[in-house]
Amino acid sequence: MISPAQREIQQAAKDFVAKNIIPRAAEFDRSGEFHGYILDAARPSNIFAMAVPKEYGGLGYSPLTQALVLEEWGYGCAAMGTTLSASILSMEAVMIAGNDEQKRRFFKPMLSAGIGCFALTEPAAGSDAGAGEATAVRNGDDYILNGPKCWITNGGEASVFVIFAATDPAKGVKGISAFIVERGQQGLIMGDREEKLGLRSSNTVFFLLKDARVPATNLLGKEGDGMKIAMQTLDLARPSIGALAVGLAQRCLDECVKHLNERFPEKTYPGQTLQFKLADMQIQIEGAREAQHHTMALREAGLPFSRESAIAKTLCTDVAMSVASAAMRLIGSHAFTSEFGKFMRDAKVMQIYEGTNQIQRLVIARSVLARPKAAVSVAKKAGAK
Amino acid sequence: MTYPLTEAQSAIAQHAHEFADGYLEPIAIELDRGLLFPKALIGQLAADKFLGLVLPEQSGVAGAGFISHIELVQALSQSCAGVASIVNTHALFAYALAHWGSEAQKAKYLPALAKDEKLGSIAIMENGPVPGLGAAALFAKRVAGGYQLDGVKTFVRNAGAADVYLVLATIRSADDGNGLTGFIVESGASGLTVGPRLETMGLRACPVAHLTFSKVFVAEAEVMGTENCGSVIATQLLSVSSVAEAAQTVGIARAAVRNAAEYGGHRVQFRHPIARLQAVQTLLAEIATDAHMAWLGVRHAARLIEEEAPFEPEAAMVKAFAGRFGAKMLIDAVQIEGGMGISEVTPKHVSGSYPLARMFRDMAGTTLLDAPGDFPDGIIAANVA
Repeated sequence: MISPAQREIQQAAKDFVAKNIIPRAAEFDRSGEFHGYILDAARPSNIFAMAVPKEYGGLGYSPLTQALVLEEWGYGCAAMGTTLSASILSMEAVMIAGNDEQKRRFFKPMLSAGIGCFALTEPAAGSDAGAGEATAVRNGDDYILNGPKCWITNGGEASVFVIFAATDPAKGVKGISAFIVERGQQGLIMGDREEKLGLRSSNTVFFLLKDARVPATNLLGKEGDGMKIAMQTLDLARPSIGALAVGLAQRCLDECVKHLNERFPEKTYPGQTLQFKLADMQIQIEGAREAQHHTMALREAGLPFSRESAIAKTLCTDVAMSVASAAMRLIGSHAFTSEFGKFMRDAKVMQIYEGTNQIQRLVIARSVLARPKAAVSVAKKAGAK
Repeated sequence: MTYPLTEAQSAIAQHAHEFADGYLEPIAIELDRGLLFPKALIGQLAADKFLGLVLPEQSGVAGAGFISHIELVQALSQSCAGVASIVNTHALFAYALAHWGSEAQKAKYLPALAKDEKLGSIAIMENGPVPGLGAAALFAKRVAGGYQLDGVKTFVRNAGAADVYLVLATIRSADDGNGLTGFIVESGASGLTVGPRLETMGLRACPVAHLTFSKVFVAEAEVMGTENCGSVIATQLLSVSSVAEAAQTVGIARAAVRNAAEYGGHRVQFRHPIARLQAVQTLLAEIATDAHMAWLGVRHAARLIEEEAPFEPEAAMVKAFAGRFGAKMLIDAVQIEGGMGISEVTPKHVSGSYPLARMFRDMAGTTLLDAPGDFPDGIIAANVA
């Protein structure tokens, strides 16, 4: 259950979103320009440091509290919410593997509404995250990084980066390492922002590392820890995408109701077909929200949540797509010629980023099919092959 | 039941595909910007005898029939559904004229419609207090020698580009209730204003706007059919339009699944092209299957229309099917292409052409920008016996 303190934080987020995000979301969606103003607007509240532990000067919000805030941001604009959640994603990696000095350094920009980015994906390594070609070669007290990174959320705007590169390519995924890189790093060559279908004002870039000399003190964990750090980080971050998606879906439903009330002011109840559609939307949203909160509760209780994390990301973003699509159909012409299309376009991107929903299904299926070792041995004794 | 195309129909279909490849494909991205109406292209379509397919054989116009028309629409939609939408809207006006026009009206407009001297459009939708057909937002009253039109028609396609509109207006009558009547209104009519072009999510080659009528005089001779037969015309036109738009859905889906299959054939992840993955094959198979079933329905309904047989229930089923599966087809196709699927502009670091983002938006328009959402279900249910 949500505590009174969390309710207060949620309400503050609602107010912030209504005042600062909703009025300008369409404008940035149209241009595709980065919504930098929101960083300034959020600075007094320190919300970009909500995931930073208190001992490092942040707000130290619990995962569920963060999710409540992210849902509100997703309600206002999933692109702006993505800037916040992608920054938290990069922090999670440092939280998992960074030492005290690294954390202090990495979290510092967030204390004044700076953002971070997480650079794992490469042209040859999307779903197959271990197939990257970026390398990091030890040279004295430094590592020399080379290679391409693409589809990097926040890449063009970030103050700090977590970048993955192979220190020992012969070892495959076990030879990948994670590095902290700071903005202005020599040899980090930034490409143009991508023009996307949805989440348009969220910054997405391609960048190239060309003989980028990074101090060895920037290595997160040990050499070869990279893929483990990446996977744990994504486990932590996926439910956040779920939170944004739930917010987006709730917005679609609320807009439907608003539209019906404006269009048919005298009618209390629309026809049954419409009533059922609205009910179905609410059923899906409520289920998705609970699944996502459940994941956060498991995490807070220190229980395993990897499977639930994949479920939350998949369910919530599929629900967002389904609800957005249904809402568009319900509203029809007006939806097609208004900013409503944004919701549908944004939802589509969310089914793809931070691990496509197909990859999530592979993860989920693996856990569904995994039989406890004890059960397998009992079955073998009973004559099963 | 199979419906082989006649030799003439096959030739038109073949020609339409060549036209789409040759003229539309190279400028589809430009057309999607929606800045300029593709006037020259419409001339080209007329020169190739594509604008008069649904017109009767008289005054030297084509008269090929509705089956040929949907072949054209399907072919054009594979390259640019927005142009298909322009042609469809024009054809609906032509269809109405051929069916309900007086001899004088036919003589006046038919040859010009086939030869690109006049582009047609229909104005059915309204934003009045009563929803759907017959909404009271545009009124006609009898004046000496004809009628005077006052009010608004909404979401009119080809708005501003069309030379002649079929406009449905309500004539208020104390005795026998309000009746809808169809009027032919030329774009230059005094008092007719085309509103600003609406910001459409897709189909951007085709302009959409509201029309405002202020004391627009229409001569007696420009009434289509008789007074108060407008609702029959509107219902039938929406039915015909359902079938043509379903052909549009199929065209977009076919192009999308082909692009996704091509992508899957060369995108290597996990050491193999992803098209070898069962889950990707399932996605491709489902899209192809849905498109195939939809096309069978379209062809069947088109034959009924061409043979002047009752076709409303079949058209409604086609619309319902296309509406339900159209969005899903594109959602899944984009999913296969991942980052490329959501790219509005193909990133600089990759080669190839990835138009799925545009197709996603076009599909939304094709399944949304028309009749109310529950329009088909009522008709289908009423005809189940």
